[in-house]
Amino acid sequence: MERPSDQRRVRGNGSRLAGGAVRQAANRRRRVRSYISIIAGLAIWELVARLIHNSLFIVPFTTVVSRLVTMTVSGQIWPNLGASSYEFAVGFLLGAGTGILIGVVMAASRPVEEYLDIWVTFLYATPLVALMPFFIIVFGVGIPAKIAIVYVMVVFPVLINTFTGIRTADADLLEMVRSFSASPGQVFREVLFPSALPFILTGLRLGVGRGLIAVVVGELFFSQQGLGYLINLAGQSFDTPLLFVGVLILAVAGVVLTGFLQTLERRMTPWRR
Amino acid sequence: MAAPKVELRGLHIAFAGEDGPFDVIQDLSLQVASGQFVAFVGTSGSGKTTLLRSVNGLLQPAAGEILIDGEPVRGPGPSRAFVFQRDCLLPWRNVLDNVTLSLRLRGVSRVARTAAGMDLIRLVGLRGFEHHFPHQLSGGMRQRVNLARALAADPDVLLMDEPFAALDAQTREVMQLELLRIWLRTRKTVLFVTHQIDEAVYLSDRVLVLSARPARIREDIEVPFPRSRALSLKRSPEFAVLADRVWSLIESDVMSALQGGETADDR
Repeated sequence: MERPSDQRRVRGNGSRLAGGAVRQAANRRRRVRSYISIIAGLAIWELVARLIHNSLFIVPFTTVVSRLVTMTVSGQIWPNLGASSYEFAVGFLLGAGTGILIGVVMAASRPVEEYLDIWVTFLYATPLVALMPFFIIVFGVGIPAKIAIVYVMVVFPVLINTFTGIRTADADLLEMVRSFSASPGQVFREVLFPSALPFILTGLRLGVGRGLIAVVVGELFFSQQGLGYLINLAGQSFDTPLLFVGVLILAVAGVVLTGFLQTLERRMTPWRR
Repeated sequence: MAAPKVELRGLHIAFAGEDGPFDVIQDLSLQVASGQFVAFVGTSGSGKTTLLRSVNGLLQPAAGEILIDGEPVRGPGPSRAFVFQRDCLLPWRNVLDNVTLSLRLRGVSRVARTAAGMDLIRLVGLRGFEHHFPHQLSGGMRQRVNLARALAADPDVLLMDEPFAALDAQTREVMQLELLRIWLRTRKTVLFVTHQIDEAVYLSDRVLVLSARPARIREDIEVPFPRSRALSLKRSPEFAVLADRVWSLIESDVMSALQGGETADDR
């Protein structure tokens, strides 16, 4: 009597394996097309730049790369890259931590939510980079002001996503663990946090983009170092290759960090397809 | 009857509706002996699920008492475990960790949990699947995990809320047979809610027919068929007679529900 269901089971696994092969092929095709697209884009950039032949407006990709190599060899890039990385890392980690913490507290407590909700919505919608001059007044022109601007830019997307993730947890699953006498802490560990995890990772991904904007904008004002400083310097001295070096590094950083978080999301939430 | 395992005394449950509170269960009294398999049938929205949730302690009655071994129920506790209609498995836990949820909540060590979990996984016929995740399982297999999870809590009373309703007909038959095999092994007291009359008659010692809302016990029918029961019992004339009797008791409720266009769900 067990047999029929067993057989169906095997067949079910088989088709799932076949589905996996199809998905893998689709993924491979997607990757190949992405690479072709990147190469084609860079080739067009190179071609157009050589045709226009005005290094003030646009410089070929190869010129930007060779400038980057020169700066790496001379060591000019490192203090700037280091400063920006440091500001971003500290601001991002503090912002993400605060966002998750307040998001959890808001989701757990109706009164806290009702008191804070209006301010969170208001501040999330505000282009907070506009506060940079204010942070310079408060913290001076050094690194703390940049950390502050990254922090406020990262907090809100993480906070809102954490809150939403916890609030949208499946009510049936909550009742299920409660029926097994789970304490509030256990309900959080078993259901609320795992439900919120994909949302939190999405919030962090949004935070990466906003944090990078914050670093650059922060360094555009009265800085002595950083990628934003280099870009500003390049603009003032009509050094287009240097300008593109700065932008290129930021773009790569954004892609790498976002990709890392996407991989993390896939690894940590294998049940989502 | 010896001291009942489960006793309901004048149970009364009301929900807040748009036009004030309405009664879901009214003055329901009942005694269930230890080890008995009791099925509840009734129309959709007759409060069957509500009844189970209140016995579990997820829901407080407006009046009356729920006693387990003479002790009043004040909330969820280890003497009862729920088998849910939607399987309610944790998608981020594998089969073993889903089955041993209640042990984890009680702080049982990993080694002891794994041993107990593997025994139950074998009992419900899922050996070899302990490291699969719920999304990799069929509906029938997920309900086996659901059942094993409830058994892991080692409750005196199993509360089963239409656990096979979402399964296809063949899988459902297999699961009924499996459930009886496991029940004969463990001898838990079972309160089983279903809207399938043949399922109720086939599985239980006793079918309780509930009236339309507010729910009261309309009829308490003993099921005389000996254990263990083969699936072929369902094709016997005696079975048909009994199923027909149950159907005649709820027929008028079903008809009036259809005519009234009532769309209330089971809550």
